[in-house]
Amino acid sequence: MMQENLIEEIVREVLKSLQNNQASAPACKAQSESKTSLDPARDYPLATKRPELVKTPTGKSLSDITLEAVLKGEITPQDVRITPETLEMQAEIAEKVGRHQFARNLRRAAELTHIPDQRILEIYRALRPYRSTKEELLAIADELEQKYGARMNATLVREAAEVYERRGRLRSA
Amino acid sequence: MKRSKRFEVLENRPVHQDGFVHEWAEVGLVAMNGPNDPKPSIKIENGRVVEMDGKPRSEFDMIDQFIADHAINLELAEKVAAMDSRELAKMIVDVNVPRSEIVKLTTAMTPAKICEVVGHMNVVEMMMALQKMRARKTPDIQCHVTSLTDNPVQIAADAAEAALRGFNEMETTVGIVRYAPFNAMALLIGSQTGRGGVLTQCALEEATELQLGMKGFTAYAETISVYGTENVFVDGDDTPWSKAFLASAYASRGLKMRFTSGTGSEVQMGYAEGKSMLYLEARCVYITKGAGVQGLQNGSISCIGVPGAVPGGIRAVLAENLITTMLDLEVASGNDQTFSHSDIRRTARTMMQFLPGTDFIFSGYSAVPNYDNMFAGSNFDAEDYDDYLVLQRDLMVDGGLRPVSEEEVIAIRNKAARALQAVFKELGLPPITDEEVEAATYAHGSKDMPPRNVVEDLKAAEELFKGPATGLDIVKALAKNGFEDVANNVLGMLKQRVSGDYLHTSSIIDKNFVVKSAVNDPNDYAGPGTGYRISPERWEEIKNIPWAMRPDQIG
Repeated sequence: MMQENLIEEIVREVLKSLQNNQASAPACKAQSESKTSLDPARDYPLATKRPELVKTPTGKSLSDITLEAVLKGEITPQDVRITPETLEMQAEIAEKVGRHQFARNLRRAAELTHIPDQRILEIYRALRPYRSTKEELLAIADELEQKYGARMNATLVREAAEVYERRGRLRSA
Repeated sequence: MKRSKRFEVLENRPVHQDGFVHEWAEVGLVAMNGPNDPKPSIKIENGRVVEMDGKPRSEFDMIDQFIADHAINLELAEKVAAMDSRELAKMIVDVNVPRSEIVKLTTAMTPAKICEVVGHMNVVEMMMALQKMRARKTPDIQCHVTSLTDNPVQIAADAAEAALRGFNEMETTVGIVRYAPFNAMALLIGSQTGRGGVLTQCALEEATELQLGMKGFTAYAETISVYGTENVFVDGDDTPWSKAFLASAYASRGLKMRFTSGTGSEVQMGYAEGKSMLYLEARCVYITKGAGVQGLQNGSISCIGVPGAVPGGIRAVLAENLITTMLDLEVASGNDQTFSHSDIRRTARTMMQFLPGTDFIFSGYSAVPNYDNMFAGSNFDAEDYDDYLVLQRDLMVDGGLRPVSEEEVIAIRNKAARALQAVFKELGLPPITDEEVEAATYAHGSKDMPPRNVVEDLKAAEELFKGPATGLDIVKALAKNGFEDVANNVLGMLKQRVSGDYLHTSSIIDKNFVVKSAVNDPNDYAGPGTGYRISPERWEEIKNIPWAMRPDQIG
């Protein structure tokens, strides 16, 4: 019986924290909320339920990407890329179905959309063990933050620099 | 000693060719509930974990820190830690407690706690739990399409046939690494010939795999390995942070991905730290969760021989699949590498996932003969197709495959081979002859294929990889040569990366290119009559194996 009480208490706690989250949400999510306010049950998948919200980096709609347009040379690789705005919408959906870590990953991804493929691969390699000194990692973090506005990724790289130092996984200079 | 004839017969049974070993906990040769596994605990101060599973923060290794800071939902962590593990296990198998409530509790557990909870379950309870806890309601299946000779025409034909047979996800890899762009392209074209919307990938070294995805030759990635001890992780040339960055890199290009891990990898690589296989695997599942990846391929995978050799090992493999679903992740549940010489044993091993259903029961089923499978074989091969169809029919279980006719298979294989032939011609790659198309149409495996000029192929494949060609060039080449339908399907796959719907947990794509995932097809299993049920149409399909006798025709 005690166990049941505990479970009930937990469920109540969950409900309470959900309400609290909703109450405090506008403060931290104002930008995205005001634009879209997506409902996973109503709006997902975006491609079929809300196609008007999805644009390519060149401003085209999904319906503009047709075989005819490809053959005319009107569709470039830039047109089959995701935008930070779309990733933010998907992050919002993820969050609303309770997948917070996944939502954070999508937001980190949104920050990376503007970084060239080659630089992405280089940063990945630099994060592998024994590849970088602490200074090199911190410089990458600064670059991510200042050049690309990638604050979440900068935090991740700084965190890595600290851990690698503590655990001896840096390249000896 | 005079030998018993009975014992001689038994020793000659296939199961005696498998390896078995007694437990040896000190080196990690123990499946689960190991004597050196930590006891669950968590302490949180100012929103930060200061102790986890008996270890103070100052002693955290890389993995402990990553899990403590990113993977555990802290709000309920202390409460759940205080709950009785056996009671939690009961709630998980109780059909009256919804999955959505369970997930709040399980995502707040520590790795040691979650192992303690599943440690209370027998395999039937674990299957019951898996049926309820998998993220997507509809179960599915993935296959391997590879070739011993990396023959692209064979890969295209096999992919087309596999799509027809019902596989919604396909994975290839290479014998010779430089063949990768050819194999990826052949898989893409073949699969989209068979059915539009099939997801394809090519397993390679991490950075190369990402590059192929960026070019539009693949639709998702899976071979992003994580490990449960720091030493093995670093031996694998990565850290949780590099892998988390890689995860975001994929999503930034609109590409779906999942991580890969499995019991036994740490002991196989010599750094198990004396912990049980399941405890170390639980850490991998938490790393995946913490990195924000939507899902995980596990179920021992390439190390299946290790848990397979110890007592309770196959139970632990089921437990690792279950833990993945308890953390609300997609699970592609193994059953892939050749596991046993015994048909009885390999079937029993697969029933653990086949009966409850998972997001991908196999990851994957070999759509080629065992000798052509470049992932060291699979637990079920192309030779087992009809056995598998009968298992579905016997037990009224949807394992994801459908009966097909010889005529339609021949036709679709031929079309895929011709489509690839056209693309090779259009892109200036070494020609595919009509003889090769004919051979691939009727082939069972690479032994039935005429040899190709490997030197020329490799040179061209390398140029293709370095060159500017993308998935759009494949679309154009197909359309210009009369394969508009296949061209449209390949384009449909490229468009997926614009909307990002298929980035979500447990996504698959139907023939109309509509994404089905744990968001719009959430598992709502709550006992008999709920959750996934075979529809009347699907049951007709499963029932009607072409070689069953018709009573009205027996005279």
